[in-house]
Amino acid sequence: MRPFFELLKKIIHTGIGKSRFLMASVGLGIAMLLILVAIQVHSNFNQLLYSAKNQNETADFLVINKKITNAIMGQSGKSAFTPEEIDRIKAQPFVQSFGLITSSRFKVVVQAPGDLHFATDMFFESVADSFLDVKNDDWKWNTGDRTIPIILPSDFLNLYNFGFSLSQDLPQISQETVKALPLQVVISNNITQEPFIGQVVGFSDRISSFLVPASFMSWANDKYGTTREAPTSRVIIKTPDPSNPTLVKFLEDNGYTTNLDKLKFSKTRLIVQTIVSVIGFFGLILLLFAMLVFSMFIQLIIASCKREIQLLVMLGTAPRQLKRYLLKQFVPLYIIIGCVCVLLLAGLQYMTAVVLAKHDMVVSIWPGPGVFAGTVLVLGLVYIVNLLTVSRYVNKES
Amino acid sequence: MQIQIQHLLPIPLKDKLLQRTSGIWNQDVSFSPGSFVKIKAPSGTGKTTLVHYLYHIRYDYTGTVLVNNRPWPSYNKNELATMRQQQISIIFQDLRLFEQLSAVENINLKRVMLPNPYCSPEKIREMAARLNVTHVLQQSSKTLSYGERQRIAIIRALSQPFQWLLMDEPFSHLDEENTRRAANLIAEECKARNAGFILTDLDDDQHFSYDVHYQL
Repeated sequence: MRPFFELLKKIIHTGIGKSRFLMASVGLGIAMLLILVAIQVHSNFNQLLYSAKNQNETADFLVINKKITNAIMGQSGKSAFTPEEIDRIKAQPFVQSFGLITSSRFKVVVQAPGDLHFATDMFFESVADSFLDVKNDDWKWNTGDRTIPIILPSDFLNLYNFGFSLSQDLPQISQETVKALPLQVVISNNITQEPFIGQVVGFSDRISSFLVPASFMSWANDKYGTTREAPTSRVIIKTPDPSNPTLVKFLEDNGYTTNLDKLKFSKTRLIVQTIVSVIGFFGLILLLFAMLVFSMFIQLIIASCKREIQLLVMLGTAPRQLKRYLLKQFVPLYIIIGCVCVLLLAGLQYMTAVVLAKHDMVVSIWPGPGVFAGTVLVLGLVYIVNLLTVSRYVNKES
Repeated sequence: MQIQIQHLLPIPLKDKLLQRTSGIWNQDVSFSPGSFVKIKAPSGTGKTTLVHYLYHIRYDYTGTVLVNNRPWPSYNKNELATMRQQQISIIFQDLRLFEQLSAVENINLKRVMLPNPYCSPEKIREMAARLNVTHVLQQSSKTLSYGERQRIAIIRALSQPFQWLLMDEPFSHLDEENTRRAANLIAEECKARNAGFILTDLDDDQHFSYDVHYQL
């Protein structure tokens, strides 16, 4: 077949419109690079988010409540979740586990011990233990115990230490001291009351509330509860990825709110995803145009050699020989373009990995399998489009 | 390989041809394999048209051309190409060489169209020597005289395997000596392949010992 193709080369000139062909090739290269970059950035992002090496506690707990707007101010019922709403939140794919935050339905007064002269009305909430970030052996309560373990929000102590105490000329208190202070807790239902000793066992960064064990809460609510069943107005969920845009959208759509700081990454991620999508999209558009130009180029070659092709066929050249010859003129170039693109991308990826490593972020120094799959896919597509064009026009002329 | 024609009539010449009697047009004719067939035809009676019908590059006819008992149109393009590479060869009246190729390249094009060429390059040189065209083999076919081109076209047709060779006034530009040499070569090559030929010409001639004569 080789000497025959050598002769065909002299008859069917593929040299016409070479600059156009070159431009289309560059276009194909850029298109392919854009598509591969989009694929690789996506894969890098996933690595940063989910790979074990970058695991900076991405699974996160979010306390969700309804946004208090002017419209529902003063109507406490409206800030509560209905059972249907709770079921819907539970059913969301991003919810790994779900817990209700139970609030107290009795009155709580807390007094500091000794001569600190500090007393305040308070409330308690409880949550299933699995949602707590404080692990302490004292965190348990059985009926009859006089001591209630309490978890305070870290922010609470910070507010006191850096806001209140400084301005009021009061001493700042360490976490250890607070844990050592026995608090006098009195719970009541306006008729009867019962004193307890409150023991702070830890500080929570996760849940901004005064927490007591669930066992105590149910016991106290039964015995001293003033209303029948308090509606749930706060829930806690565990989600593998708080930056998941669907989670953010779900919250927004339903007028729920949570610790927005935890969702901030989601915005960055959305922006990156958008940019990556746009890059990929441009890549696809460019690819489309490159294929169009290739098709037109093939058409041009065949049209300009119409008489030669007809005579070749007349002399007995099989259309499949012509097709194979024509494809052979283009396909090696495509493969070269593909290889160059993959090499370029590998270089870029290596550089990215090195730069990110300086910031303690680990991504693979090799392009992901998606890149190779993408290359094969794009080349396959270009080959098929060329094959169809060549077949169509050769059949037309032969 | 069997070639048969049944009630073949070219559409453009229909009225004219129906007014006269012909041994070919509108007849049932079967060309038996291996026979040397001469078709004598005055100008304008469709000599070239007939050759093109038999080679299946013109289709404006009524009736049928059967090749191996199949009508030509039932062959697809790749089958047709195989036939033209291995079963049937042709010398066009207008020669149809590629001007952008040299003489020897024109011959080689046909020779190497088959992955396993029928003739060796030495065989081609030998045929060129017998037809006195060795000196022009490397020249661009554009610069050749018509007689030289005709001989190149003959060699090209003989460089492939075939069962039938179609010739349309193959010696129109050759002098007597060269015609004799070309005819001898063609006869030899046909015999070597057990092949037949169909030759069309204006006049009677003694170039070959024909088995069958037809009047178009």
